[in-house]
Amino acid sequence: MKDMANSDFIAIAGVTKRFPGVLALDHIAVSFRSGEVHAVIGENGAGKSTLMNILAGDLQPTEGEIRVDGAPTRFASALESRAAGIVVVYQELALCPTMTVAENIMMSDLATRSVVSFVPRATMRAEARAALARLGMGALDPDTKVGRLSVAEMQLVEIARAIRQRARVVVLDEPNSALSRRESERLFDVVRQLREEGVTVIYVSHHLHEVLHLADRITVMRDGRTIETLDNENLSEDRLIRAMVGRDLGNTAPWHRNPAASSEDAPIVLSIENLTAPGLSDISFDVHAGEILGIGGLPDSGKDGLGEALFGLHERTGRVAIDDKDLRPADPLASIRDGMSFVPADRRGASGLLSMSVADNVISASLARFSVGGMLRRAAIRREARGQVARLDARIARLGQKLGTLSGGNQQKIILGRSLVTNPRVLILHEPTRGIDVGAKAEIYSILRGIAGEGVAIVMISSEIPELIVNAERVLVLRAGRISGEMRGEGINEEAILARAMAS
Amino acid sequence: MADAVRSSARAPARDQFQLSRLLRAREAGVFFALLAICLFLTFATDGFLTSVNLLNVGRQISLLGIMSIGMTFVLISGEVDLSVGSTYASSGLSTGMLICLGWPLLPALGVGLLTGLAIGLINGLLSTYGRLPSLIATLGMLSMVRGTALILTSGQPVTVNTRNGALPDVLATFEYMGQGYLFGTVPMQLVFFIIIAALAWVVLSATTFGFRVFAVGGSAKAARVSGIHVNAVKIWAFILMGVLAAFAGILSLAFLPSGQAGRTGLGLELDVIAATIVGGASLSGGEGTILGTILGVLIIGVMRNGLVLLGVSPFVQEFMIGLVIVIAVGIDKWSTRRRA
Repeated sequence: MKDMANSDFIAIAGVTKRFPGVLALDHIAVSFRSGEVHAVIGENGAGKSTLMNILAGDLQPTEGEIRVDGAPTRFASALESRAAGIVVVYQELALCPTMTVAENIMMSDLATRSVVSFVPRATMRAEARAALARLGMGALDPDTKVGRLSVAEMQLVEIARAIRQRARVVVLDEPNSALSRRESERLFDVVRQLREEGVTVIYVSHHLHEVLHLADRITVMRDGRTIETLDNENLSEDRLIRAMVGRDLGNTAPWHRNPAASSEDAPIVLSIENLTAPGLSDISFDVHAGEILGIGGLPDSGKDGLGEALFGLHERTGRVAIDDKDLRPADPLASIRDGMSFVPADRRGASGLLSMSVADNVISASLARFSVGGMLRRAAIRREARGQVARLDARIARLGQKLGTLSGGNQQKIILGRSLVTNPRVLILHEPTRGIDVGAKAEIYSILRGIAGEGVAIVMISSEIPELIVNAERVLVLRAGRISGEMRGEGINEEAILARAMAS
Repeated sequence: MADAVRSSARAPARDQFQLSRLLRAREAGVFFALLAICLFLTFATDGFLTSVNLLNVGRQISLLGIMSIGMTFVLISGEVDLSVGSTYASSGLSTGMLICLGWPLLPALGVGLLTGLAIGLINGLLSTYGRLPSLIATLGMLSMVRGTALILTSGQPVTVNTRNGALPDVLATFEYMGQGYLFGTVPMQLVFFIIIAALAWVVLSATTFGFRVFAVGGSAKAARVSGIHVNAVKIWAFILMGVLAAFAGILSLAFLPSGQAGRTGLGLELDVIAATIVGGASLSGGEGTILGTILGVLIIGVMRNGLVLLGVSPFVQEFMIGLVIVIAVGIDKWSTRRRA
């Protein structure tokens, strides 16, 4: 490898990124050559996104060095990274939907002109068409508004814009999660075309067979470290999965090793039959009293809509029943009444009432119990809130403190408290510890085990595989909207989960 | 550090009133601004600090105040209502026309209030199930409601008096509502405002409805996860707004006692929103208090009164009111950003 170093276009050495309480990147070492397709793979949380953000100039490394063409470089901003020829195409596209294809492709040219200069429409259109033609997209009308294109076409427009800006590196971050098979094929053609022209393509993906199909080299990341960089010769999906696994589980022993966790003989509380909802088809499973059931899968597996479908926030067909009583679809209030509680993933936007007090949040799903004739029972509310705060060991200054002023971990404890106050039979959690520091994570896990110990059936939907391994007694893996695997007890391990989530 | 914070959570005494918290409360800034304006006017004019003038200010702000109470609910729920000026006009006029047709007072009042209720209901339905932004829905209603009033009155002024057909005893009670004084000193309009404000304060801070209004405006998604019916809450907020705007409109006709569909309450929606915003309610929802709104209404009322006492020209008055709105809301936004 070393003797080829002179062909390295970008060399990253010893790059470390620390966030408060988290080591996101730990002495990264990887190099990208001109004219190669270089895939970066790794589990959720392995550090891929942080690394790409550093390349894009959106984040600055805590330590370490990035060399571009051999010269040490520090991208203080996204503009500087762009000036060096690095263009990142994110999943959330950075196009202006109300402007035309041509205007979007030519945007940077327009932005650098003086304000009063005349923009010849015909020239703009011609140049945009030329850029599109190079991608085999000559048929796309440059006058179409971007908002009317498909996601695949938008991605190609963004790549066309990158080429216009003489990009030397194009980073594609999870480019194909929204693409059909044919659209993916077209994208692959474009990627190969870019390689022909000497552009470096960094391809971040979960889809192993595509990575094997497309990449020249593959770098595997895990726990913020680069594990290895492999030449794509005689590699198999199994080989890649083996390189990706082995994440540190911390000090928490997997819960299934605890005999107290066995719920196989306990009665079934939640039963789901032939559930079909947006992104999900024909899902059936049962959850026992006291069981923690883990649900894993890739971002596009459909698992992210499961909680909303079960709780009645999304439309659904099929049967969802608690203690053999069918839940009404599309009626969250009825779901709560029938014993289901839901903690959504997006704590800041969709889960907590950030502008309201801790006490108000705790009882917000149980208003009927804490009011008489429509009048709130303030004393009872404070008593209940104080009890939940003590039970969950949430660190707050006052019960009247606004939820938004708490740390992520304490917010999540209060939101769990809100669920507990409803006396649920079933607790559905989506990414229960996303963005929470390690210490608070462990505390939340032990709270969840306590809740399960009281006979509550818990469904834990999570992208973090260690979280599933440590907490779940049984794990279901989703792929393409269906259950692709089930494992229990000692059978729950990273390799098995990844293989069922990723392998084709 | 963490331990200290934790132990304090269990000390209930700390949850009680604290002077520093009182000073940091959202209303504090508005209150001190009001105090400063009042002190200035006390020394700069002869007539400001007299019970006659203050009661006069109280009457002048009452109708604005009643409507701003309703707007507080709508803004906290995360919506806005631009149709209130038209509701004010049309409801007053319908009550007035019915009284002139010889109707007894209560049915005439009832129809006026029902008009407001219906407008609020339509506003609410359009802004929720109709999926229109409330800014657009109520902008449309602003025109439609005033248009309806113009059609019904043929653009002619409605004057409530016995010559036009009102029964004498009905007229007497009606006029007492708008022009009378309780115990010979307190204007009836102010009495109504105080009663409504007190009720609204209880509803907003002590009932499940008030709780739901805050939750829906704070985060509709989170409210839904808590099992709160977001659309129903917003519709009720609009209905409350409609009824209060109707009541203010009825009182206005009882005071004057004449109104015209093309003139009454024109542009009033902007005064109402301004007073509510100055009082600390947020256009993005989830924030606001009745006390703040009362203070906001008082600032605008005292400013208008003071500028008149100072002999400032009406043109300059208009400018000054606008300036106060910008400064008051600006200070609030700048200080929140500093806190964040």
